[in-house]
Amino acid sequence: MKYKKLILFMILLIASGMLFACSDKDSKSSSSEENVDVIELNLYSWRPEDRKAYEKFIEVFESENPGIKINFQPFESTEYNTILTNSLVSGSGPDIVQLRPYSGTKSIADNGYLTPLNDVPGVMEIEESFLEAAKGSDGQVYGVPTTLNAGVIFYNKDIFEEYGLEAPETWDDLLQVSKELKNNGIIPIAQAGRAAYLLSMLHGVISPSAYGGNDYVDEIIAGNTDLTDPKMLETLERMQEIEQYFPEDFIALDDNDVQALFYAGEAAMYINGDYRLGTFETNAPDMNIGVVPGLKADGPNNPLVMNWVDGSYGVVEHSEHKEEALKFIEFMATKEFGQLFSDELNRLSAINGVEPKHELVQQITKASEANTTPYLLLVYFGEGSPTTKTVFEDSLQGMYLGEITKEQVLEDAQKNVERVATEVE
Amino acid sequence: MSSQINDNGYFQKRKLRKHMVHLFLLPAAVLYGVFQLYPLISAALNSFYSFNGFDKDQFIGLKNFIVLFTEEPYKSTFFNAFKHNWIYFGVTVLTQLMISLLLALIIHSKIKGKELFKSIFFLPKLLSVIVIGFLYSLILNPTRGALNNLLEAIGFEELTRPWLGSMDTALFSVIFVDSWASIGFSMLIFLAGLQAIEPEIFEAAKIDGANWFTVLRKITIPMLGPSLLVMSVLVFIGSFETFEYVYAMQGSSGGPYYSTDVLTTFFYRLAFGTTDGGQSIGLGSAIAVILFIIIGLATTIMLLIFRRKDFDR
Repeated sequence: MKYKKLILFMILLIASGMLFACSDKDSKSSSSEENVDVIELNLYSWRPEDRKAYEKFIEVFESENPGIKINFQPFESTEYNTILTNSLVSGSGPDIVQLRPYSGTKSIADNGYLTPLNDVPGVMEIEESFLEAAKGSDGQVYGVPTTLNAGVIFYNKDIFEEYGLEAPETWDDLLQVSKELKNNGIIPIAQAGRAAYLLSMLHGVISPSAYGGNDYVDEIIAGNTDLTDPKMLETLERMQEIEQYFPEDFIALDDNDVQALFYAGEAAMYINGDYRLGTFETNAPDMNIGVVPGLKADGPNNPLVMNWVDGSYGVVEHSEHKEEALKFIEFMATKEFGQLFSDELNRLSAINGVEPKHELVQQITKASEANTTPYLLLVYFGEGSPTTKTVFEDSLQGMYLGEITKEQVLEDAQKNVERVATEVE
Repeated sequence: MSSQINDNGYFQKRKLRKHMVHLFLLPAAVLYGVFQLYPLISAALNSFYSFNGFDKDQFIGLKNFIVLFTEEPYKSTFFNAFKHNWIYFGVTVLTQLMISLLLALIIHSKIKGKELFKSIFFLPKLLSVIVIGFLYSLILNPTRGALNNLLEAIGFEELTRPWLGSMDTALFSVIFVDSWASIGFSMLIFLAGLQAIEPEIFEAAKIDGANWFTVLRKITIPMLGPSLLVMSVLVFIGSFETFEYVYAMQGSSGGPYYSTDVLTTFFYRLAFGTTDGGQSIGLGSAIAVILFIIIGLATTIMLLIFRRKDFDR
């Protein structure tokens, strides 16, 4: 009899657990029934550091659209892809999602998880090359690009003034300036190599003026040449030539290590995305920073600025509140949002006609508008498992460690391009 | 008649009690099923499928395994990582097990403050892997790290090097940190083994005139057999499952230039991709299955070898 009671008790326990689980759901739906006029949308992002700025954007949107509430839910950038994939597959969670550019958006869109945005007012007015980052294989636009990145050379103006140096404009200038700085006991370029993507970034900034900018990019897209092209080899010669101006043992250094060298005035230049500007202003607000948006090729021309779209926002196809989510997307495509975005975050907006408030952002934006070139490896070689970009940057690490030659770096990358082509087929 | 009824009642109760035992296993079985069996089986199933980045695409049989062993860059990455796992095992056995055995012997001898030493040696095991990884990344930093600064201060400048940034030292540095953190645990296992040996045996050996080394060779080590077996198996499993220290100190790419890449980091890159993408769940699952087979086979073989030696005798 005792046992029967015990069994009954356990069954009741399990049943009550189930009821509890159900009641949780019920309580949620009843609470939303109470606020029947307010529709809540979940927005997933990989930018926890931008929370305050997003809260402002959302406040503006909500004041213009009473009845819609946006919950900004940021996740760590490194975890974001997995979290997004899981929530899309399980059909739970977000209504609006931040999308990785280029192949990142394409794979999600091709699997039918996103709503096409071609008909949303304002979206098609965004620069065509930026929209490329948010298209599916069907050519439809699935995201509103918000941020444009630029790979730039930051420099310490005070150090340059102290040694009577001008900001470099060409590759030869960069080498000359670096030589002068080194002779004066200053580390010319605060370059880290422990995270291989920083080597890709460096390559992206110093190479376009060597491979001939967009002409080479067009040739490679058309299939008339590949990564083993002599022009590309020249870019790796540059990578080797500039190594003498990096900190000692730079392959063992983290981005944080070399940023510290730059803040401390031990290093004069630092190469990375323009998004580091915010980091500098937080960590070294008194530092007198200048920026070289890109290097000029030979002859009279504008510097070639390496740009890429950082991310865009799309609407989940199976969202219960697609109409409201599309309203937010429409807001994100307005100049009002673009201006707010640029002012709050000191970043380049992908929306036309936005006037940046920050002097350096203005300088980069103007230079980008005059002569832009894509981040070749990220934009066109970001597919496959592993991606060609990953193979390329890891091989660059191998080259700097003396494990492989520059020719092998290009061969490895090209072999991966060919493998990825069969993988996609 | 009444006794028959009583008997029936007794047997029914016994029967019920027997079933009750199974019922009590239920919660544990459910947890085991959800968190162990289900992931294991689904990973095994996933390894036979191709993925479109999100869902299973189509059944492709053993193709994922064939690709891993025959196609570049997977083939060389796999064997490079596999080699590193073996190095990890070999070096850990040599360093961690030998040092922890030595520490256990010291603590087992009649020294003062042995409880304090025991706690100190075990302390690193209580720290989070991420904390240890971060601390050692600072200590081993080439420019402002404590180790290089110390070497310079005591006049060994030629020994300073970029410990985590050199192909020659990165893997050994990670293994050292892992061993440092794990030494306390293996020391406790050895200490328990030592305490299980009857003190009379040592006394008899002493009376027979055996010196310390002879006692160690002829008595202590052979009688520590079961502890050695447990630790060897655990170190083997740990060396092939190792991920946290490599990831915390060198990232998922097992840098620099794959010099610290192990099977689990290779698995992680394929199964979860990087921020740039590159996810391939099918291939990742295939590595997980191979790892399972390697660990399962090797552990069984080691247990069989040790069983043949019959420690219980």
